[in-house]
Amino acid sequence: MATMFLKESLLGEFLETLRLFGELAGPTLSVQGVTVLAPVTDPSLLLLDYKRTQIPPKKYLLPFREKVISFSKGGYHNGGDEPARTVLFAIHPCDLEGIAYLDRVFLADPADPGYARRRSGLTLVGISCEPDDFCFCSGTGEAAPCDLFLNRAEGGFEVTLSTARGEEIAAAARGCLTAFDSASKGKKSPLPPLRKGGDVVPAVRPQGLKRATLVPGSVDPELRFSGHPLWEEFARRCVGCGACSVCCPTCYCFDLREYPELTGGHRRMREWDNCLFKNHGEVAGGNFRPERLDRLRYRFLHKFCGFSPLEGMSSCVGCGRCRQFCPVDIDLRELLPEEGS
Amino acid sequence: MTGPFSPHIPVAATLTAKRDLTSDTALFTLSAGRDAAGFLSTFVPGQFVQLSVPGGGEIPISPAEPPSAGMIRLCVRRVGHVTGLLHRLPAGSPLGIRGPFGRGFPVDEMAGHPVLLLAGGLGIAPLRSLISHLMAYREKFGEITLMYGAREPSVMLFRDELVELAGRGLIRLYLTVDFAPEDQVGGYSCARGLLPDLLEGFRFDAANSYAAVCGPPPLYRCLTADLEQAGVHPSRVLLSLERRMRCGIGRCCHCAIGQKLCCTDGPVFRLSELKDIPEAL
Repeated sequence: MATMFLKESLLGEFLETLRLFGELAGPTLSVQGVTVLAPVTDPSLLLLDYKRTQIPPKKYLLPFREKVISFSKGGYHNGGDEPARTVLFAIHPCDLEGIAYLDRVFLADPADPGYARRRSGLTLVGISCEPDDFCFCSGTGEAAPCDLFLNRAEGGFEVTLSTARGEEIAAAARGCLTAFDSASKGKKSPLPPLRKGGDVVPAVRPQGLKRATLVPGSVDPELRFSGHPLWEEFARRCVGCGACSVCCPTCYCFDLREYPELTGGHRRMREWDNCLFKNHGEVAGGNFRPERLDRLRYRFLHKFCGFSPLEGMSSCVGCGRCRQFCPVDIDLRELLPEEGS
Repeated sequence: MTGPFSPHIPVAATLTAKRDLTSDTALFTLSAGRDAAGFLSTFVPGQFVQLSVPGGGEIPISPAEPPSAGMIRLCVRRVGHVTGLLHRLPAGSPLGIRGPFGRGFPVDEMAGHPVLLLAGGLGIAPLRSLISHLMAYREKFGEITLMYGAREPSVMLFRDELVELAGRGLIRLYLTVDFAPEDQVGGYSCARGLLPDLLEGFRFDAANSYAAVCGPPPLYRCLTADLEQAGVHPSRVLLSLERRMRCGIGRCCHCAIGQKLCCTDGPVFRLSELKDIPEAL
C-alpha cells in the first residue's frame, strides 16, 4: 500500500510503461462516435474525462462469443486459448465494482477456466470521475478494487497502489512517479489489498469497508411480485431490445450453443444471452417467462436482489448505462425507495 | 480441477443401447467408462446430468436409475433439436456427460418414513432413480406408494417393472390414464382419471409421510394443495422442477426460480421453500 504522484505531463511516459504489462486499452471515441474501451494507439485520443463507455469492461473478461469446448476425435476438449495480457486504463470505480462482482460469480468454486485465465492476465488501472445526470453510484471510488488507482489532483494524479501488480507497475514506472506529499495534497483513505502475489483472488473487500456503490437502501424482493403499477407501465413501453442487459457491467448470463466446424468436429460457443429475450425462459414445451412483464421482473430481481448464492446482494453499481441507453426511458430505479426516505 | 471430472468439460460416453419405450420416448444406455464411475457414483436420485450430443448441444436430464460402474441410463422423449438428434444416433455413437449436478432427494432424511411417489407422464423417469434407491434399501423405508398417471395406456412407461415390484409386495402401485382409446381397452387394467382423483380417496399416514412429485407443471399446482390438505408437511413435499439449465453450475442464470437457482439449489425443492415464490409452480 503506497501512494505516489503522477504529473500530468508524464502521463504519456507512464502509459508506455503500462504497455509492458499487456495490451493497453482505454476509453476512446470510435469512428461511429461511440465511447468505447479500445486498444490505445495514440494516447492523445484517450478520453480521460469520459462519462461512460457504451459496453462495459466485462467484454474483456467475458467475450461476446467464445469457444469453450471443442469436439473432435470422439471426445470433448477444452477449447479455450491462452488469452493475451491486457491493461485496462482509466476505469471508473463503478466499473471496477462491476468486475469485482463478476469475480464473485466466476471465480467462485469451481472457477470458470476462461474467466480465470483472462482475469489473471488483466491489470486494472482505475481513475476518479465526475458523475453526470445518469450516474447514481453513492461512492467516491476511494476503495474501488483495482491494481492501481489514479485520483485526479492538481497538476496530475494521486496514484494509489493496492496490489502486488500495482507495486510492480510503480517500480517499473518509478521514473515518472514521485513520492506523494500527503501534507500538501490532502489525505488519502487506505485501500485494502486485493491480491497476494500473482494469484487471482476474488476482489472481496475486507469486512467493515463499505461498498463504494449501489442503489440506496435494501430492495424488497417482494416488489417483484407486487402489483406495483409501474410494472405494467414498463412492460407496455419496453421493446425488449435487451440494451439494458448488454450495457450492464454486471449482467453476465450466457447461453451455450454448439456449431459444426467446417474442418470436422464441433465447437461449443458461450455467447452473451439476455433475459429480456423471449427464449431465455424456454424449456421443451413451454416458457417460464412468456410475457415481457415477467422478463422485466426477472431482471429486476437478479439485478437488485441477487440469485443464490449471492442472494441479497445488489449487483447494480450505479453506472447509469441502462438509463442512458434504454430507447424508451425505462428506469427500474423508479421502483426503489428514494434515498433517505 | 484434479481427476477426470471437470464440471466444465463433458466426459466421453458411448451410446451402448437404445430401448424404445413408446413411439417418441426411449431409454438410452451410455457407458462413460471406468474413469467416470467414481464421480457418477456420487449421484443422488433427483440430481441431473448434462448430456452432450455432439453437433447438437447439451440438455439437462435426470437419470432414470442410479449410475453404476460408469453406466448411465437416461429416459428421453423426442421433443426438440438435441433430443431429436439423440434419437437418430446408432449404438456406438460418442456422447458426453457432465455432472451429476444439483440437489437430489433427501434420501437419508426420508429413511424410516412412508414415501408417496406421484409421477405424471415423463416425470416417472427421475422418480425411477428414486424408486431404484428405495428398492435397494427397501427395509429402511416405510410403506412406499407410487401413483403414476399417463396420457393413455400406450405411453405408460416402465409399466411391467412397476407391476412386478407391486406383485412382490415392495410397493403399492396405482396407475391411471387420462383417457383410454377404444382400441387399447383390454390390454391391462388401470384407473381412468387424473392423479388428484387417485389421491383423493387415498388413506395414508400423511403426518409421517414424505411425498415426491415429478411431472408437468400443472400437476404440481393441483397436487401440492391436495397433499397439504391431506396433512403432509410442506417441508416433506418434494418437487422436482424443470427449468432451462444450461451450465449446471449456477452461472448462466437461465434456471432461476425466484432467487433460487434450479441447477444448484434444486432441481428437487421442498414445497416449503417455494411457497413464497408465486411463479415457481
